[in-house]
Amino acid sequence: MVVPKHILGTFDDALTSLRKDLLMMAGLAERSLDRAIKGLLQRDDDLCTHAIADDEEIDQLEKQIDKDGFEILLRYQPVASDLRRVISAIKLSPNIERVGDQATNIAKRARKLNRHPPLPEVQMIVPIQAHAMSMFKDSINAFARENVELAHSVCSRDKQLDDMNRDANRKLTELMMEDREQLRGYFNLILISRALERVGDHATNIAEDAVYAAAAEDIRHKSLAASV
Amino acid sequence: METPEQTVMERLEHGSAPPPDAEVPAAHTFEVKNVSIWYGEKLAIDNVTLDVAANAVTAIIGPSGCGKSTFLRALNRMHELTPKTRMEGTVLLNGEDLYSSTVDPAIVRRRVGMVFQKSNPFPTMTIGENVVIGLRLNGVRNQRFLNERLEKSLRMAALWDEVKDDLHKPGTSLSGGQQQRLCIARALAVEPEVILMDEPCSALDPIATAKIEELIYQLKARYTIVTVTHNMQQAGRVSDYTAFFYLGRLIEYGPTTKIFTNPGEKQTEDYITGRFG
Repeated sequence: MVVPKHILGTFDDALTSLRKDLLMMAGLAERSLDRAIKGLLQRDDDLCTHAIADDEEIDQLEKQIDKDGFEILLRYQPVASDLRRVISAIKLSPNIERVGDQATNIAKRARKLNRHPPLPEVQMIVPIQAHAMSMFKDSINAFARENVELAHSVCSRDKQLDDMNRDANRKLTELMMEDREQLRGYFNLILISRALERVGDHATNIAEDAVYAAAAEDIRHKSLAASV
Repeated sequence: METPEQTVMERLEHGSAPPPDAEVPAAHTFEVKNVSIWYGEKLAIDNVTLDVAANAVTAIIGPSGCGKSTFLRALNRMHELTPKTRMEGTVLLNGEDLYSSTVDPAIVRRRVGMVFQKSNPFPTMTIGENVVIGLRLNGVRNQRFLNERLEKSLRMAALWDEVKDDLHKPGTSLSGGQQQRLCIARALAVEPEVILMDEPCSALDPIATAKIEELIYQLKARYTIVTVTHNMQQAGRVSDYTAFFYLGRLIEYGPTTKIFTNPGEKQTEDYITGRFG
């Protein structure tokens, strides 16, 4: 569906700029997460450093989106779908910023792990990362394309990520008890798994706001059965 | 000791009422059924059916020429003052047919008061005379009664404190915002059941506008109010229900919060978001 432009061109420009900054921020968070995980799996400290460096730009964009969103509310007093888009953008950006923080956490843990001989258990992170990353990407796509169905599917995938994280925690805790030498390494992997689980939580929040922006429906705090 | 819930409940009782969430108002002052109005050959209102909620503010919005003011005027037969006007359909005021052959239009206009875009105090009359002129024209001569009604009406219009010492001065000596509140007091003096307002703040500055909006909020406890406005933010602030008209047709009607966050019709969305081509 083609959304007609506003009579007031500057209003369109302001909304377009807000959306552009939000998608740029999401792209940076995605890249940061990808670099952090590659830094872990490929034992590449440079990638980890890049991931950490990205976070500053993500933080700046969060502030910029807040500023632009407030200015749109002040200047144009948006209503209906415009209001929902602006409110959702303001609510989305802290979630994206925290995904960036999780990428930084993962990168810092990866650099610690890279100082020691490789742990084969690092591979346990691969499916968790793939699941978390797909949830995050889909949540952003759902918002950008106003795809309510995709947003609902993101929310319904969160439980699976929680289960994957719990399984990894259990296995790594058992290994910690069996092999005290690698205690620190396993502990870092537990924290990396938890960071990815948090990425899934943020993706769920983003998807919930995407549903609100697209359909004016508040699906937060509903049971999974009721929301799907 | 009060529980936190009791504290909140008490605050809510003294604060503003929650916005209505019912799609359709519970009690109706007006029941408008299949109303069409022509000016000569021109169809101004096209088959509109709408129930106006009692003790609530209903805002009518829409682009210029969409029939908002005509619809408003049909609620007290004011449109009949325009030559070559023809109407079909029914308008019930608290169940009574306003267009029945036995109903006197002058009585209808007393029951359904009106405030216009431009404040229009009678230029040759004092502030006091302006307020009670409706009562005088209806034959009331008791000065004590008139004085009581004068003070009551000015108090309800939030003007008493500003003019109580100047009641003998001309109505036109007041500021634009005060003149508009004087006109509201004049409408209230005959104790109507409904107040219609046709863009009551369009000529006022933000402070005078805020005073009228506050007044509207206070008055809805006693009266049903229907207001036409071009100001979307004002409609959002003061009204409980909003009706969107376009080309003489009622496009959408519902709780204001719903209309301004998630309208059901694309035409409404395009209009309120400023996308109307």
